[in-house]
Amino acid sequence: MLTHIKTISKFTIIEAMRNRLVILTLLVMGISFGMIEFIGDLSITERRVTQVAILAAFLRLSAMVIITMFVVTSTVRELHDKTLEMILAMSVRRSSYYFGKLIGFSYVVVLVSILFMFMLLLYAPAEQVLIWGLSLMLEMMLVVAFALVMLFSFNQIPSALTGVFVLYAASRTATSIYLMSKYPIIPHDTLAQEFMDGFIEMLTWLLPDLHRYTQTEWLAYGTAQWSDLPPLAVQTFIYLLLLSSLSLFDFHRKNF
Amino acid sequence: MPVIISVVLILTIAIQLLYHSQQEPVVAAADSLQLPMSTRTYVLSSLGEPIAASKILNLWLQAFDNQPGVSISFRQLDYTRLTKWLDTILKLDPKGRYPMLVAARVYGSVQDRERQRIMMDYIFYKFNENPHRHWRWLAHATIVAKHELKDMELALKYANALADKAAGNSIPYWARDMKIIVLEDMGEVEAAKILVGGLIASGEITDPYEITFLEKKIQVLESKLSDSQHNVEESTKNIQ
Repeated sequence: MLTHIKTISKFTIIEAMRNRLVILTLLVMGISFGMIEFIGDLSITERRVTQVAILAAFLRLSAMVIITMFVVTSTVRELHDKTLEMILAMSVRRSSYYFGKLIGFSYVVVLVSILFMFMLLLYAPAEQVLIWGLSLMLEMMLVVAFALVMLFSFNQIPSALTGVFVLYAASRTATSIYLMSKYPIIPHDTLAQEFMDGFIEMLTWLLPDLHRYTQTEWLAYGTAQWSDLPPLAVQTFIYLLLLSSLSLFDFHRKNF
Repeated sequence: MPVIISVVLILTIAIQLLYHSQQEPVVAAADSLQLPMSTRTYVLSSLGEPIAASKILNLWLQAFDNQPGVSISFRQLDYTRLTKWLDTILKLDPKGRYPMLVAARVYGSVQDRERQRIMMDYIFYKFNENPHRHWRWLAHATIVAKHELKDMELALKYANALADKAAGNSIPYWARDMKIIVLEDMGEVEAAKILVGGLIASGEITDPYEITFLEKKIQVLESKLSDSQHNVEESTKNIQ
């Protein structure tokens, strides 16, 4: 089983290299460098804080889009090209295929995060960048798992991508939406509103609280502590197990 | 390649150019500043990135006077709305100094007394919320009130606030002692002298530089006071 996982993850990494993922990442870094230097020239004060805040938010979003696109397109192509059927026709377990893919994509996550960390070193202290980068890796691991769940469920690129983007946005903003519903400007007590409030609260329980991950404030004001990372690692581990169970449940249900 | 494809390509480019030539010409028009949305809306629309959102709003607001094809002066901006924008930006990033800097140095430097007052009052309001963070901007507002607005009562109000809320050593003595200078400029030399003496006697001031500064100030005030008393005596003699 371990040999299968290792082989599948190895070929996932080879595919990432052949897909020019590194070049795409470097291109994003080049564009963001130009943009941030331009923004720096516009600032009257707090030049570095302004640059690093916008750059960190841009890189975080870019990492999410690059990784989601790569995971979804490469795996859906395998589904459509019948490569997956060929692999499963051999003595390879479905869980081996899944974990092989997950580990392969994790390497991609680490690679993209490290490249982005190098760029941030131009604008923020090394220790803060390191904590931010490790948190980005954890966050992107969840994005990979989100993408695998979505593509096994939908089998189509547009639906899977939409699913990941919606889930990611909901995880990032669920707490804000919850606070808005809990402390409204105009109090309400209609049944429909109470139902919505309950639904939103349920979302905050079910979704990972991504607003605690990869905070821009860490880089802008140097507030990151090493103690911020263990709770994020625990949440990532729990949610990865949940999403992996969900993916494998759906994967085993399907007939190829 | 079929010829028809080339023909259609050239034709569609021509149609696009023709279509564009039939459009109404774009005229530059200055947009008035709208009220900001709630802070939460910006947090949501930036996918939970309030600091990045605040930095982008800073730059957008700073460049609002330069809209596409038209430049409007700060005097045309609605300053009450402007303060609401600055407030929203500060709520998104409470540690940011950018909004207060533009309030004091950019929007507060406009050659319009009424608008300057709105901005200085905004700085005073923010200072009362957090004196430790915003004292430097109120010190600037005191100078603006004294030298540009020529409103000594307003300058004294700000200087009073600086002196009263100077908890601990978070506000340097030059800012805390602005009240003395304002009182001196208002001709209230006696009141200024009493204040300086009181400050030294209270024992709150431990900084040797501040004590030296205040002692020298007492000497200056005493000489001013004796000069003015001397002048009064001279003029009384002349009258007699």
